[in-house]
Amino acid sequence: MNPTVMYLLRDAVLDGDVSQAIIEVKNLLNTKVKPEKIIKEGVVKVMVELDKKCTVEHFNLLEIMMAGRVIMAIVNELYPIGIPSSQAKGTIIIGTPEGDIHDLGKNIVKIMLMGKGYRVIDCGKNCPIEELINAAEKETANAIFISGLISTIIPKVREVKSKLSRRNLKDIKIVAGGGALKQLTAKSLNVDYVAETVFDGLNYLKELHEVEL
Amino acid sequence: MNAIEGIMKAINFETPDRTPVIPQILGHAAIISKVPLHEYLRDGELLARCQINAYQHYRYDAVFALMDVCVETEALGSVLEYKKNYYPLIKKYALSNTTNHEVLSIPDPYQTKRMPELLKAIEILKAELGDEILILGCVLGPMTLTVQLLGAERALYLAIDDIDKFCQILDFSKTVSLKFGLAQIEMGAHLPLVFEPSGSPAVVLHQFFREFILPRLKEIFSGFKKAGAAANWLHIAGHTGSILSYYPEMGVDIANFDYYVTPLKAQKLLPKTCLDGNIKSLCFIEATPAEIASKSKKLLDSFANRGGYILSSGCEIPPESNPENILAMVGATK
Repeated sequence: MNPTVMYLLRDAVLDGDVSQAIIEVKNLLNTKVKPEKIIKEGVVKVMVELDKKCTVEHFNLLEIMMAGRVIMAIVNELYPIGIPSSQAKGTIIIGTPEGDIHDLGKNIVKIMLMGKGYRVIDCGKNCPIEELINAAEKETANAIFISGLISTIIPKVREVKSKLSRRNLKDIKIVAGGGALKQLTAKSLNVDYVAETVFDGLNYLKELHEVEL
Repeated sequence: MNAIEGIMKAINFETPDRTPVIPQILGHAAIISKVPLHEYLRDGELLARCQINAYQHYRYDAVFALMDVCVETEALGSVLEYKKNYYPLIKKYALSNTTNHEVLSIPDPYQTKRMPELLKAIEILKAELGDEILILGCVLGPMTLTVQLLGAERALYLAIDDIDKFCQILDFSKTVSLKFGLAQIEMGAHLPLVFEPSGSPAVVLHQFFREFILPRLKEIFSGFKKAGAAANWLHIAGHTGSILSYYPEMGVDIANFDYYVTPLKAQKLLPKTCLDGNIKSLCFIEATPAEIASKSKKLLDSFANRGGYILSSGCEIPPESNPENILAMVGATK
């Protein structure tokens, strides 16, 4: 593999240039570089750079969205029918609970999870909690990511853990994030982790991955 | 000294007889009056009655003629879903199939959807409370309304891909906000609060705010002042540390700051602007009255030498909040 091509791919992602990124992905595939390696050496490295740049105080959503759009295009190019379970780092269920339609944060997290090589099942916005749990059971998920901006969804989020336990699914981790949810602690929200930012959530998953997944 | 005089003294960094206190009570007014929230949000008279009840119960310094963040976008054609005891959700955005805002026309606030109900609420509040306490209307800022017309992702990608088109919609939104706010002043609001959550640095960089949002907010505030607004109040929650210093240039008299920004930092960034904040909203559900009293006292102490302060929450007090917590905050100023 010509390492320059991987650099060119990373530049295209950071630059938000979808067409150039796809050209570089095709160049890499033509030189027999495997999709997993393109994700690991190309996409994930860019996300580490974004993570360093985007602190809570200096968060650049537009830059993340620009990169996110390219990452989505790369993932679709490499895995047109989705990342197969056998190659995925794990399966994550994601959704915005019923009563809340603010799904921008959820969509960003979804893209970044896919960019990291996770298989993501998106239950959408305004989604009943039961739907998230059903999906987690059906897809043998490793974690459920719940995103929410408004406080009225908090009681429903608090129910997820006990509902998982009742179905013998207590090993599934629950990660919460978003405007309203991140005002609370994990203990108070009855979840495993409250992520301050998208990268904070990804890092929690990475730590979990090293230990359990 | 009545509430408005106290607030004006705070704005001018003079000494009121006590620090003004304005809990951001919106839907909570319906809950304590045992009125279904979804009815409160669609009936101006009911909204006014509930706000008056809440004021008489808590005795703070301002009432809010504010339904939810979807009033303008609904008037422009977005389709909402009203669920029992919830704020409405946008089912379909007015510009969901196009970025051409010319398919929309500026709504007449006296005739379109819930806008006249909100104006009716202001009229009743003014008739019953007069100039006893501050009567606040509310309009969305241009960035937030643009997001409400297109959906957040489409709006932000449009800003990235076609900034000219994005600015056209931003200008359209600015005109809607200005016209709606002027109608609110005409009906008796002392000022329309400008709610611009999508201008937060959590969404756009401060450079973007300075370049695209600031000039339009400045125009809105200038229009409100010319129409007789008692003051200009800008409400953006979250990490506003990187944009607070722009507020004086826009003509902001009262700047909301959320729990992410410390009082000291807010004071440094806005040495001559009245600040309101910053108790974490969810504390009004989760904390005890003693904790709220303690947080309130700490805030009052941190502004004791400076003045220019209104005790408040960092954002809306959630509808399901514990009334004892609100009483504790109000009580801390007396």
